[in-house]
Amino acid sequence: MPVLCRVALRTRIPRATSLVRKTFFSYEHPPSSQPFGTVEDVILSAAYQHVPEHGFSHHSISLGARDTGYLDISPSVLSNGVFSLIRFHLVRQRLNLAYNTEELFDTSEINSAGTSAGSRVAAIAWARLIANKDIIHRWQEALAIMAQPSHVPSSLKELALLSDEILHLAGDKSVDSSWYSKRASLSTTYSASELFMTNDKSAGFADTHAFLMRRLDEATTIEGVFEGLGTWTNFTMNAGINLLRSKGVNI
Amino acid sequence: MAPTVCLARPIRAIPLRNPFCTQSCRSLSTTEPLHSTKKLKPLTKQQCDFLSSALRVNQAGELAATLIYSAQTPPIVRKHPHLRPLMAHMYDQEAGHFKTFNELIHKHRVRPTALYPVWSVLATGLGWSTALMGREAAMACTEAVETEIGDHYNNQIREILEMITQWQEEGYEVSDEIEDLINTLRRIRDEELEHLDHAVDNDAKKAEPHWLLTGVIRAGCRSAIWVSERV
Amino acid sequence: MVACRALRSCTGNSFQPSRCLNRKNIRPFTTNYLRHQSQRTQTPTADRETHFGYETVTESEKQQRVAGVFSSVAESYDKMNDFMSLGVHRLWKDHFVSSLNPGATTPLGQPQRILDVAGGTGDIAFRMLQHSNVHNANPNIHITISDINPDMLAVGKQRSLSLPASYQSSISFLEANAELLPFQINDNSLDLYTVSFGIRNFSNIPAALKEAHRVLKPGGVFACLEFSKVDKYPMLNAIYKRWSFSAIPLIGQLVAADRDSYQYLVESIERFPSQEAFRDMIVDAGFAVSGDGFEDLTGGIAAIHKGIKPL
Repeated sequence: MPVLCRVALRTRIPRATSLVRKTFFSYEHPPSSQPFGTVEDVILSAAYQHVPEHGFSHHSISLGARDTGYLDISPSVLSNGVFSLIRFHLVRQRLNLAYNTEELFDTSEINSAGTSAGSRVAAIAWARLIANKDIIHRWQEALAIMAQPSHVPSSLKELALLSDEILHLAGDKSVDSSWYSKRASLSTTYSASELFMTNDKSAGFADTHAFLMRRLDEATTIEGVFEGLGTWTNFTMNAGINLLRSKGVNI
Repeated sequence: MAPTVCLARPIRAIPLRNPFCTQSCRSLSTTEPLHSTKKLKPLTKQQCDFLSSALRVNQAGELAATLIYSAQTPPIVRKHPHLRPLMAHMYDQEAGHFKTFNELIHKHRVRPTALYPVWSVLATGLGWSTALMGREAAMACTEAVETEIGDHYNNQIREILEMITQWQEEGYEVSDEIEDLINTLRRIRDEELEHLDHAVDNDAKKAEPHWLLTGVIRAGCRSAIWVSERV
Repeated sequence: MVACRALRSCTGNSFQPSRCLNRKNIRPFTTNYLRHQSQRTQTPTADRETHFGYETVTESEKQQRVAGVFSSVAESYDKMNDFMSLGVHRLWKDHFVSSLNPGATTPLGQPQRILDVAGGTGDIAFRMLQHSNVHNANPNIHITISDINPDMLAVGKQRSLSLPASYQSSISFLEANAELLPFQINDNSLDLYTVSFGIRNFSNIPAALKEAHRVLKPGGVFACLEFSKVDKYPMLNAIYKRWSFSAIPLIGQLVAADRDSYQYLVESIERFPSQEAFRDMIVDAGFAVSGDGFEDLTGGIAAIHKGIKPL
């Protein structure tokens, strides 16, 4: 038993971590970590150029390493192999959204609520989808890799970060339960549209655009119904309580 | 922009308008990122986690407080009309706190608590049931809640002060946002403790059985804080 | 309490190098050998304190004691790894080697130079040879197997005799201290530096990492497979700790009649820094890492750390 006691003392119980990691965003403090290390970033940037031709593959990565003067063995340092390259694409395009969005909207217009939140979400989601156009013929193989059990958590996390980014850029200010429902429904809509796009042969991906708009409308309708239901319930309950109070019931 | 040019650009080379803002550029948010010239240390992961859970639990707490007061007000005011201004004053302050934390949660992109609906129901239930038990019980509820909340804010302030001390020892400066945050927390804590005094002035101690009522509510508050920090 | 006292006595005074002398296959503690060793392998910090299991000893003393442990277990080394890892170490090693993908070059068949440190029995080196020759059709790699302990090297040499002749010519053996590699390994000369289940026995880990950084080419990769911490899963951790602290020394006593060596192995794992701390040591030595810089195997019972020497 003393052995166990000693072991128990040594065993550090880690703090429970939240399911979706959303941590404090500082506007002033420099960030503590970059999405990719310096070397990783250099190799993956070069490898990314080979994706349209060679896909999300080891081959693209080793070509990237050679282009930048690294050794054949160097890519083995990437912790997730090919998935690193996929994540690079996801992170790059997510960060690019902020710039594309600037071109899409004028800042003052956003603040004056000239366009509805829904249409801004649609425009930004479409901007993100169309950023896939150069690699869309390679995207199904990437989706297959992302669906591998060991990569599912990171893939979902990236999807959550993307929805969060889109909603934030669209100026969404919800800080109650709808924070979750909006992100969940946007994530579903976005990934369905992305999958649709891999088989879309129409000019300028017009079919995908139509698909995205349709799904976003549906989601808005459903959200509207739930919201309306909530408001109605609240109203009815308050009315009921007030009626009882007016009758002298002590509540 | 030709796609290849875009592809060739490494991520960290993206010319950011604001050098401190790399997670994404937030030029569309209402709060323009500040161009700080101070020598600041990056927030560690632990510090970020602490700040997010602090904001999250504070928002949940203030949500509960506004709901407690709004549920208590009608029954209490009906029986004791002289308490109307006090209840309105306390409610208004809590509503102000709630608004402050809603804004902070949005600004710092912190996830709100997942148990939002649960806290809403529990807080309304607590406020309503103590109000039905009478003025003393309602005040005892305020007393218990505000005692826990006061402690809770004090702990947060202490932790942030430790962060600041550590920065200063290492020769870094304190960012405006952290300074604003600690001032906000101090102001809110003082207002919460003021509510505690009002509750005691209004015979909170005369509630029967006082020890049981405050004991149960305080334990409930502590567990709610514990849960909100996590989910 | 009895168990506690027994444990302390194992780790404490009773662990005398002289006990290892009784074994007939042991050479390292003859005085000649020691003098010879101290000239070639003494590091500048030999007097500094370090850990030997739960004891605090000087670095040079640790070197000698570790030598004692490995001399006494050299022949039952595989058996020992099987006990420590419940047999999973074979899978870990396969994964380690295939994640490094040695011999994969564009165009095919370019030469690669690899140093496998603390690789005495050749476990990793033979796997890498196999991977390069069969998987990547590249016979043009050279692996130097280095170990501080001649007994472990002897086991490896013996085993290498059963390899195909073409493989044998791709291997060379080197008796060396990883904290002070000999001059025949030049600066910037290696593509890959591997160390598998060895680095926790080093007296001065930062010095060994600096040496790795020195001998690797820019762009070369440092890769380490080592027992690590299971802190992320408290349940698994409790079971694993119970297994390693109570069962393994006992099995060591029953199977190899050598409780002390096995006790040392268990304690050295416990003493080894956490994944994050070791990653930081790798970064401090000048390597760049990707992502977290490590990959947990079986919930963190072992972990693979990798670093790359920047251009």
